[in-house]
This record gives sequence, C-alpha cells and structure tokens, in this order.
Amino acid sequence: MKQKKIHFYPLNRVEGDLEIRVEVENNRVSESWSAGIMYRGFENLLIGRAALDGLVLTPRVCGICSTSHLKAAAKALDMFFNVKLPDNAIRIRNITLMTEKIQNDFRHAFMLFMVDFTNPAYQKHSFFDEAVRRYKPLTGETTVATVRETKKILEIIAILGGQWPHSSFMVPGGVVCVPSANDLAHCLFLMRNFRIWFESRVLGCSIERWMEVKSEADLDAWLDEAESHAQSDLGSYLRFANEAGLKKIGKGCGNFISFGSLDLPENTDVKCVGKDRQFLPCGVSQNLKLKPFDQQKITEDVSHAWFDDSKGAKHPFDGETIPYASGKESGKYSWAKAPRYDQMPAETGPLAEMVVGSNPLFVDLIKNDGPNVFVRQLARLVRSAYLIPVMEQWLEETARCQEEFYQDHRKKERGKGYGLLEAPRGALGHWVKIEDAKIQKYQIITPTAWNASPRDASGARGPCEEAIVGTEIKNLDNPIEIDHIIRSFDPCLVCTVHTINLKK
Amino acid sequence: MPLKLYWIQCGGCGGDTWSFFNAESPNVVELLSSFDIELLWHPSISINSQNDLKTINDDVLSGARELDVLCIEGSILRGPGGTGRYDEIHGKPKKDLVASLAKRANYILAIGTCASFGGIGAHTEIEATGLQFLREEKGGFLGEEFKTKSGQPVINLPGCPCHCDVLAGTIAAIGSGVQLKLDEYNTPEEWYGMMVHQGCTRNEYHEYRVEERKFGEKGCMFFHLGCHGPLVHGPCNKVLWNNRSSKTRVGVPCFGCTRPDFPQQYPFFQTRNIEGIPIELPEGISRAHYMAYKGMAAAAAPKRLKTRKTGI
Repeated sequence: MKQKKIHFYPLNRVEGDLEIRVEVENNRVSESWSAGIMYRGFENLLIGRAALDGLVLTPRVCGICSTSHLKAAAKALDMFFNVKLPDNAIRIRNITLMTEKIQNDFRHAFMLFMVDFTNPAYQKHSFFDEAVRRYKPLTGETTVATVRETKKILEIIAILGGQWPHSSFMVPGGVVCVPSANDLAHCLFLMRNFRIWFESRVLGCSIERWMEVKSEADLDAWLDEAESHAQSDLGSYLRFANEAGLKKIGKGCGNFISFGSLDLPENTDVKCVGKDRQFLPCGVSQNLKLKPFDQQKITEDVSHAWFDDSKGAKHPFDGETIPYASGKESGKYSWAKAPRYDQMPAETGPLAEMVVGSNPLFVDLIKNDGPNVFVRQLARLVRSAYLIPVMEQWLEETARCQEEFYQDHRKKERGKGYGLLEAPRGALGHWVKIEDAKIQKYQIITPTAWNASPRDASGARGPCEEAIVGTEIKNLDNPIEIDHIIRSFDPCLVCTVHTINLKK
Repeated sequence: MPLKLYWIQCGGCGGDTWSFFNAESPNVVELLSSFDIELLWHPSISINSQNDLKTINDDVLSGARELDVLCIEGSILRGPGGTGRYDEIHGKPKKDLVASLAKRANYILAIGTCASFGGIGAHTEIEATGLQFLREEKGGFLGEEFKTKSGQPVINLPGCPCHCDVLAGTIAAIGSGVQLKLDEYNTPEEWYGMMVHQGCTRNEYHEYRVEERKFGEKGCMFFHLGCHGPLVHGPCNKVLWNNRSSKTRVGVPCFGCTRPDFPQQYPFFQTRNIEGIPIELPEGISRAHYMAYKGMAAAAAPKRLKTRKTGI
C-alpha cells in the first residue's frame, strides 16, 4: 500500500531561514515546497527617501553579498542620471564585485556545502575520514585555510572601498575612492597570494592547465593525470561526488538565466565572450538553447507567496506588493516571491553563467547527464579560475592609467533606472523609480528569489522545488540528498525574504 | 569547563557573522580554541541539523546544559501585530525562543545595531526592536530592568556590521573574567568611548575646514557630504576594517551606523546645515565658538591642503 507522508526539513548552513516541505511516497519525493520563513519588508524603508539612499540601505539586504547590492543600486542610478563612467571606475567596480564572488564561492563550498560529506550518512564510505579531516566545521584543514584566505582577499574591497561588508563606495558616476599606485600594488599582491592558494590547494594545478579542461573526458583525464590533481580540494570533490552519486540528483527545471555582468572598460585587453561588451554575457538557456535576454520579460508572481495577489504577475517597475499573512490554508506558503522569465521558472548562479557563456566543459557535462548537483557545485568551485586572471589584468590596467574614478553629473528630479548583474549566487536586479528627487518605488529581485521561488499561478514549481521532486531519500530522518540538492543552489534567504516592494 | 556559546540569527542580514570571519589575530578558529569555547549552535556553521537544534534547545532551557554566552544577531521581529509571525523557527515565533534562552544565559551580546537598537526595521510594519533598546528609548524586547544570570544587562555591540575586533575582544574579556565598563547605551567604553573621526586620515582637512562638495576628492566630508565621523562613537579609524582601511579614509562618509537612530530619517550623502555650518555639531561644543574657530581655521588653511597635494 502506498503511503504519502509530509516531512518538514528546516535547513541551516544556508544564509537565512529556509524550510523545505516534502511529500514522500515509499521514500521517493512526490511533491515539494520551498518556503522563506522570515519577512523584513526591506524596500518599504526606501520609499520616500532621497535618490541616493539606496546606496546605503540596500547593501544591508545581505551580509555576504553587500557589494553586489551596492553595484546593482549604483548601476540603476547611473541609468537614472544618464552618466557615463570613467574606465577606472568600471574596473574598480568589477574588481570589487569579483572579489566578493570569490570569497562567497569558497566560503559556501568549503564551509557550507562540503560539510555534508562529514554527515553520519557517509560514515561507511571510503571518503568519510578524509572529509572530516578536510571539512569538519572550524577544525578541518581546508576549513581553516578557507577562513584565512577568504578574509585576506576581502582586504581588496577594504583598500578600494573602505570595508567589507556594507560599504557604499560606488555612487552614480563611478566610485568615491582615488587609490594610489601603492594601494593598487597591495591589491595585486593580495590577488597573487590568493592565486597561489587557489592553484596549489583548490585546483592542484595552474589556472592555465585547468583552462584546457573542455569536456567531461578532459575532466576525467585531468583527475587521473597527477597526484596533485586527485589530492586537491577539487580532486576530492570529484571523488566524493562520484561515490555519493551527486550526478544522479537535483536536476531542476533545465532553464538558466544570467543577467551578465562586468561591463568592459573602453580601453582594455580583456576579451568578452558575448556581443554585449560584458565579460559575462546575459542570456537565457532552455534545454541548452540560447535565447537573447530582455529584462522586460521578467515578472514576479505572488499567487503562492504571502502577498496580495489580486493584480496578477507584474514587471518589477509595475509590481505592487502588500504583505498578506493568510496562513497556510490559502495555498500561500512563502515570504519569497516567484520571479519568472517569459513566464517560465529559471535557475541562476555560477552554472547558469557557464551555460549562458557557452563554457564547453559545462555544456558537455549537461549534455551527458543533464543538470545535477555535481555540475552545479563544480561551477562554483572553479569559477575563480575564470575570474582571477581578469582581475589581475584590470588591477594592472588601473595602476597604469592615470584617469579619473568619478564623473560628476547633473541633478535630476524624476525618471527610472535598473541595475542588473551577476552576484555570487546569480542574477540580481534593482529597479528604481524616482519622483521629486525621492524614491517612489524600489524593487529588488535576488538570485535566490529565482532559485528558491515558490509556485506560480500556473502551478509551475520553482527550480529548487523541481530539483527535489523524484529524489529517493534513503533515510527520512537524515535526508542528506535534500541537503545536497538545496545547498548546491547556495540559497541566500536573508536576501530573498527582503524582496518586497510597497507602493506609497 | 569550556565556555558554551550559542548564536542565534533573528531579523538581520547575516553581515555580523561574516564580519566576525574578518577577524585577524585571533581569527575565529583561533579565538574559539584559545579561549576553550564550545559552539553549541551557529546557523551558518554548525554541522548539526535543525532537528539536533531542538535537542540543544531543550537541554539549554531545562538547565541540563549551561549557556554562558548568548549571541543575538539581527533585530527581534514582533510583527505583524505583536505576533512575531514574520520570523519563525520550528513553526513558532523566534522571539519566544529568544525570550526563553535569555533567561538561561550568563551573558547576552547584542551583535550589531539591529540587535542592539532595532536598526533596519525599527518603527516599521515588521515591528523590529533591539533587545533592551528601541532606538534611543530604553526597554526594547527584554525590558529596561532585565539582567542576565550574571547580573549584567545585554551588552550592546552596535555597528552595521559589528566590527570583528569588538566582538572578538568582548568574547575574550568574558572568557578571561574581565568586566567591561559599559556606557549609557550599554556599549563597552573600550570601543565606543571614541569617535569614528579619531584616527581618520582626513583629519587635517577637517582641522582647516577644507571641504568636499563632490565625490572622488580627498578633503573633509563633514560639512557637505553627510559624514558623521565627529558625531558618532566607534573605533573604525583605530582598529580599521579588514585590517586595512575605513569608509572615511577612502572617501565614503560615515553614516553613523553605531548610533541608536541608524538608519537616520534624513538623506545620506548630505549635511544638514545653516549657512554652511552643520546643524549637528560634535557633542558639548559651543556653536558660536565653533563657528569662529572654523572661520579662522579655513583662513589659515595651508596651500598644500587647499590644492589637495597630500598623499591621502
């Protein structure tokens, strides 16, 4: 006889409060619901405030990606004031955003994700002792190194922006800092030191060697090629993931979205992949077919979120959101809204960046096995290999170039703007409308809003929910499969539950 | 006996946790081991699941397990309508868990401005409050009279985020039995007995009133760009951020994030002033004398500063 049972799995080791509810039938997940269980009404604070105030308040949305929010807020205001940035301002904004991405990737990978391999569920696996030695919280070898290296690289943001987290050094027209040649030399030195750790411990090879890995066959060959590869943290991830079967779980919805980011300065030796003069192109991929991206096709649906939904799904410039704590009986179950692109749910994050950027390795891996936990987390582990050389290049270009870091602009009373970019966890957008030099409307859509979104009006599940359905759970008291799947999305709920906009 | 520390996140962004990870010597790992601190729970770090947390909570609340230091990050959300349903844990308002844990703790640290004074979200629909203050007003969530088992009020460590050295130093003081002297907002004088302005590399510009009106220059930001450095208590320019710099040093005005009224209700990036003199002057200053002094200082300003020919 089939038995359906509902289980609640509140999740820690993610940023903020996430609760996963699943319906299980003979140890297989037949239905799932992902819920943000906190509400902070963040954008409400911005209504009626001065146009620049978002630069101070929105970084406070998130303690691990505040520079990303700052940049999105500044970009929205660049558009509003219609100001063109000096090359050095573009470089400094890019360098600091990339620094934030790098710290996030490793803190997530080694302090939040890999920790699951030390779960008692794996006690009898061959990798268990090694996992404990490397990733046990606060004492594991890699954990201790990650604490040391990630805070060190963040010094770059402090040198250029004053502090991390929560600075406001980006303003419409550029950045406020005027770094000296010595400041930039320190940044480059920090970068080079980080590269040493990344190459020797995380990759086990040079970045240049890693760049030659362009297919699944290359990846297998790379792992077997040298002891330093097999014994690096990437090597251990490949071995653990294989034994734990991470390729078999967490498929998701198959749609990917990337807002693109890292606008290229006019004069630079850095080459871009796409046609939109961004180092990371924007785009949407549906079953590996790329489509051009148009921000007007974004809507937010609140049919299953605790907000008034009487007006249907809206574009963020038109969206209207009023909290409506109806309890669970109405079908509403989350404080996170449901962003959709052209009415479809889409996954975002490092893997989406790779897919939309047509990275051959990741396209090949998805062709062979579809999206899964393994490939999603792999993208996060190796993304820095693509960022580090570009950061070094831009730091050197900034040091050589003596031009300005800020362009002044005229006062303006009314208009609108948006700022889109790829934050550590994926597509982040800020939309602002200004009237009488005051904020009339402010809307933020975070990466986790895409990934951990609830259902929409058509009943389509969000990507995390979709990734869980069909999963076999071996031990319902210790659902390690769900832990892996959810953490592979690196959810940040503190961000997401703030994505509320209230019309004045 | 190890010192047992329990960290709970309420209405916040997690920034205090990640700021804590900036600590250099000792770093977080070294701090916990050198003061023999047992981390009972931290939502971002613990290997234990949320179900294990239920057991930990039962043990702490029944007294079976000691709770030496309760760290609270983020404000207490009481909305909507006092129910606390905007922030839940295990299906119940998180504020109720905080109230129960508070009774068992020897020390309570309010980490960051949200936990100390309500911060982001105070006086809004989410009804956020600090633990013993709501902005400047005494009381907050636990009430003005509240004392922990050790007889201390909640120790407030404001800042958005709280500086890692302040938190590490406070934990170290508790671990070594040192009693920290608290000021009127229950913040340790050690770090809040100085102004953000002290140690700022732009002090010479301030001294001679060489002012900035636009971004990307090297002068003082107090007179036009809304810098709160001379008005606000905090160690930013003594201990520095990420061991490197501070907002004011690189040209970002201080927003007064350690103050009970953060975030301010008036615009950032501009100074409210009367005829070029800020409405809000440093504590205890005579306006007439200050105006005379600044007028003379500006007249005496060396060319070196007026032409911004300095290394900072």
